[in-house]
Amino acid sequence: MPRDFKMSVPDYMQCAEDHQTLLVVVQPVGIVSEENFFRIYKRICSVSQISVRDSQRVLYIRYRHHYPPENNEWGDFQTHRKVVGLITITDCFSAKDWPQTFEKFHVQKEIYGSTLYDSRLFVFGLQGEIAEQARTDVAFYPNYEDCQMVEKRIEDFIESLFIVLESKRLDRATDKSGDKIPLLCVPFEKKDFVGLDTDSSVLLGLKRHYKKRCQGRMRKHVGDLCLQAGMLQDSLVHYHMSVELLRSVNDFLWLGAALEGLCSASVIYHYPGGTGGKSGARRFQGSALSAEAANRHRPGAQEVLIDPGALTTSGINPDTSTEIGRAKNCLSPEDIIDKYKEAISYYSKYKNAGVIELEACIKAVRVLAIQKRSMEASEFLQNAVYINLRQLSEEEKIQRYSILSELYELIGFHRKSAFFKRVAAMQCVAPSIAEPGWRACYKLLLETLPGYSLSLDPKDFSRGTHRGWAAVQMRLLHELVYASRRMGNPALSVRHLSFLLQTMLDFLSDQEKKDVTQSLENYTSKCPGTMEPIALPGGLTLPPVPFTKLPIVRHVKLLNLPASLRPHKMKSLLGQNMSTKSPFIYSPIIAHNRGEERSKKIDFQWVQGDVCEVQLMVYNPMPFELRVENMGLLTSGVEFESLPAALSLPAESGLYPVTLVGVPQTTGTITVNGYHTTVFGVFSDCLLDDLPGIKTSGSTVEVIPALPRLQISTSLPRSAHSLQPSSGDEISTNVSVQLYNGESQQLIIKLENIGMEPLEKLEVTSKVLTTKDGISVSGFPLSSPFRQVVRPRVEGKPVNPPESSKAGDCSHVKTLEAVLNFKYSGGPGHTEGYYRNLSLGLHVEVEPSVFFTRVSTLPASSTRQCHLLLDVFNSTEHELTVSTRNSEVLILHAGECQRMAIQVDKFNFESFPESPGEKGQFANPKQLEEERREARGLEIHSKLGIRWRIPSLKRSGEASVEGLLNQLVLEHLQLAPLQWDVLVDGQPCDREVAAACQVGNPVRLEVRLTNRSPRSVGPFALTVVPFQDHQNGVHNYDLHDTVSFVGSSTFYLDAVQPSSQSACLGALLFLYTGDFFLHIRFHEDSTSKELPPSWFCLPSVHVRAVEVQA
Amino acid sequence: MAVCVAVIAKENYPLYIRSTPTENELKFHYMVHTSLDVVDEKISAMGKALVDQRELYLGLLYPTEDYKVYGYVTNSKVKFVMVVDSSNTALRDNEIRSMFRKLHNSYTDVMCNPFYNPGDRIQSRFVCLGRAFDNMVTSMMIPVC
Repeated sequence: MPRDFKMSVPDYMQCAEDHQTLLVVVQPVGIVSEENFFRIYKRICSVSQISVRDSQRVLYIRYRHHYPPENNEWGDFQTHRKVVGLITITDCFSAKDWPQTFEKFHVQKEIYGSTLYDSRLFVFGLQGEIAEQARTDVAFYPNYEDCQMVEKRIEDFIESLFIVLESKRLDRATDKSGDKIPLLCVPFEKKDFVGLDTDSSVLLGLKRHYKKRCQGRMRKHVGDLCLQAGMLQDSLVHYHMSVELLRSVNDFLWLGAALEGLCSASVIYHYPGGTGGKSGARRFQGSALSAEAANRHRPGAQEVLIDPGALTTSGINPDTSTEIGRAKNCLSPEDIIDKYKEAISYYSKYKNAGVIELEACIKAVRVLAIQKRSMEASEFLQNAVYINLRQLSEEEKIQRYSILSELYELIGFHRKSAFFKRVAAMQCVAPSIAEPGWRACYKLLLETLPGYSLSLDPKDFSRGTHRGWAAVQMRLLHELVYASRRMGNPALSVRHLSFLLQTMLDFLSDQEKKDVTQSLENYTSKCPGTMEPIALPGGLTLPPVPFTKLPIVRHVKLLNLPASLRPHKMKSLLGQNMSTKSPFIYSPIIAHNRGEERSKKIDFQWVQGDVCEVQLMVYNPMPFELRVENMGLLTSGVEFESLPAALSLPAESGLYPVTLVGVPQTTGTITVNGYHTTVFGVFSDCLLDDLPGIKTSGSTVEVIPALPRLQISTSLPRSAHSLQPSSGDEISTNVSVQLYNGESQQLIIKLENIGMEPLEKLEVTSKVLTTKDGISVSGFPLSSPFRQVVRPRVEGKPVNPPESSKAGDCSHVKTLEAVLNFKYSGGPGHTEGYYRNLSLGLHVEVEPSVFFTRVSTLPASSTRQCHLLLDVFNSTEHELTVSTRNSEVLILHAGECQRMAIQVDKFNFESFPESPGEKGQFANPKQLEEERREARGLEIHSKLGIRWRIPSLKRSGEASVEGLLNQLVLEHLQLAPLQWDVLVDGQPCDREVAAACQVGNPVRLEVRLTNRSPRSVGPFALTVVPFQDHQNGVHNYDLHDTVSFVGSSTFYLDAVQPSSQSACLGALLFLYTGDFFLHIRFHEDSTSKELPPSWFCLPSVHVRAVEVQA
Repeated sequence: MAVCVAVIAKENYPLYIRSTPTENELKFHYMVHTSLDVVDEKISAMGKALVDQRELYLGLLYPTEDYKVYGYVTNSKVKFVMVVDSSNTALRDNEIRSMFRKLHNSYTDVMCNPFYNPGDRIQSRFVCLGRAFDNMVTSMMIPVC
């Protein structure tokens, strides 16, 4: 049987206190299910320490279910490596199998046979005759459940081990120096000593040397046994002696072992809590001690123990002398490390003792970890890293790196620990492994996260700048992605890759960004990324990774509804609403609270059932076009139907506005919490609270009940022209029209309720905006809400005399603006007191048509009439015609000016209020005068009825003279308040028609005065002067022979009171035929100087005297 | 001379890292990253010493098979880590010390630059900012023949 003298399997879990344990191997024989085996193994392991009867010594047991026999070969070197007990577990169901089973037990015993003190066989399942026989080495149990006695059996077994151990110890310890001491050897030394005859050795020195070596090794061995048997003090003494002996003979390997033994015993003494981290593994008689145990690593703990007072209270051992002695032999904590160093340096001389050296390093590290001497510990670990054992199997490599990682963790070197853990992880999937352990690799990689200061919660990265070593973090994330993919868990890959993209975006190069997104898209095509946390078997949960940087959102703004859809609160209800909030008009506390609330709540409302918008300013940080799909709003408080959008952002775009829309389905307060996206196949819910550096002007808004929605359409096309911004109203629709001055335009407005709610109330108002150019609109106060006539005209400024107005003054285009407001409500919104306002803006461009450059009057033949002379100017570029009521048509070419004469009846303006007292509101006489002038103008205008027509454009309109009428013209047009009527033969006459009378017959002449003025006039004296008009400019007044008066030619009229009449009568006798005129003259003295002369304008009378017919 | 020079912020993330065999940069990242364990340990061990008497040079952090890693920490806890080839036995402790001092001076110059935002990476593409520092590091990396 070829022997490998080299111990090759290190026990990385070893610690110093293992030196005091007895090694027991528990193994199954035959076919035992793993579950059953480990159930029993666990129970056996629970019996790990036994207080030996009648003494204070404690026995510690180390159980292994697997132990390489070649390690057992080193049992003489360090007795804790020696398998002293074997427990075999087997299934046996029938008696006929029994002999075979028992035989197997013996074969098993043979493996460790040379070192075994005792062994046991536990048989499960066998019942009957065989099972009833009482044997010490075999125990029978009917099944794995029904075996309460296992622990007791183990205790008995350990006691039997102790008896053997104790006998061996005593045996060796009492060996006298005279006796021949055998030389203990390690396996690889054995061949060196083969054939060496120590007895016949000629050289005395060599013999003494050899003897010392034997003695030293034996001392060391006895020390080991003492330690195992719970006699720490004795072991220390033996180790010290052994060190002295072996040092003198330069037996380095064994000197190292003796030194290590010394260290182990001292460690056990100083650190009763243990160094291996197995909590509760050790129990002491003085239970108070174990509580203190953890603090015992301080330098100086030793001194405390030496203090007799402290010792008696601690109750370890009443005999203080032994305690002091123990302290003397025991190494101080510093010495332990020095001795470990020394021991390791001796071990390192032997290539075959690699495992021993490695384990010693690990043991020292554990001690140093407890002493908190990390630097020195790291040196030991560094040494351990470089100990080259034989070619390790892949599994052993993993184990080695894992344990190195754990040890580094133990001494607080988290980064180094992570480094080795990562190496171990990589080892799990090394190319040389036939079946790579991706699951194990992934698990190990996850464990390295803290070492690289990497958490998998993206929230830890959202605040402030990235902290951590990005290069190594990124590498780890890539490895996690790859491992999870190979594990066959694409959801994990997607999550890790999303995390990588989200948190490491700033560190990725453009090419890496492309590669990462490319592979992410590949993964998500099979398994889309979700917002669900992923729970890992190890208890770790991977929180979802929302892509808050794809795109980056800089600004979120909730938009008000468009002006026409904005709800308004009825004024009367508004006051109520405010008063319900607080009974106080002002309170600082409430104001403060409100202030906070207001900081989020926006002071406009959204309406149930109406589309509302949120504007985001987004930025694409990627060097390529970013497709964002299914982008919508996340809201709370109100049932909300989000209408997602898809967008495509150009590479490294600047801030890009995106509008997200949705419809609130219920009423209340809605809060926009964030938005959701699908980018690269990953669903993200991005909450605004988690977004760093986002600007928002509040995210809470009130949703009011539904209102009807009106749509406006007009007979005229809409225009983009908007009204002056100063108008204050938000105009939703604008209509623009071009008109000639004086032209009329009919505008039909159609309102349509396109909402879901009925229209219950509609209020129409209008407003003319002040215009710069002195334009007025007539007919604007509405006659019907649905038919509106707008008639603009130029209002000439009265200060400008008509003569001075130049063509250029009026030729430029003037504008007029007006607003029509439709206030409406209905449905649930109406009951809540809300209404909507729809405004129609009217924009009229007025082009000049015709205007009058000059106005004058000429008296007509009748005193009741006069001629109005108008100079008409065509300022259009078209030929136009001007007509009046009397259908006189004047044709004007473009830019032509012509005079037209219109005979008009004089006006009686007296029906208008005259005295300021009658109309109190016109406090300003000037204003009153203006008003009167306007009224007169209107009347004149309507009487004249001047219209223009442009035949080529088929357009027509009115022309107004209103503004042009000056005082003089007005006076001429005004009917005098004193109305003089002359009646010839009872017939009123005027110049136009001659009154006929017969020659020789007297003709009655009556002059009648009607006083329409507010004052009394007269008395007047009138003289009638007849004359003949020769039609050649000669008037013949010498008619004494032809006309004679019957009575006086002078008439007298008494004073006439206001609105009364007076008349005077006379008669004339025409002696010849002919046409005569009568001129009626006032006497100089009778005319009142204060009255205007126009008041005394009497018609001249035309009489035709004819022969009396036979 | 040095094969890798790193400046590490107080919060233990790299402000600057450069290595000569650029093809295996990540290896040096790991090396410098793990050396921070030792730096932390040494700083915490020094914690009791008076600030002004503190030695900034941390000495050899740890040796690896091929390299030696040295450390230096400023009073503001900014760390300098330098990796040198183990085969370069000619390099004495004093030389390492003076190299660190030069590095520290250059770093101070960077900090004094009003356009440098403390905590930002030192990048050589900003001419007046990182270029001088970069050149100095280059001079330390050129092997002396």
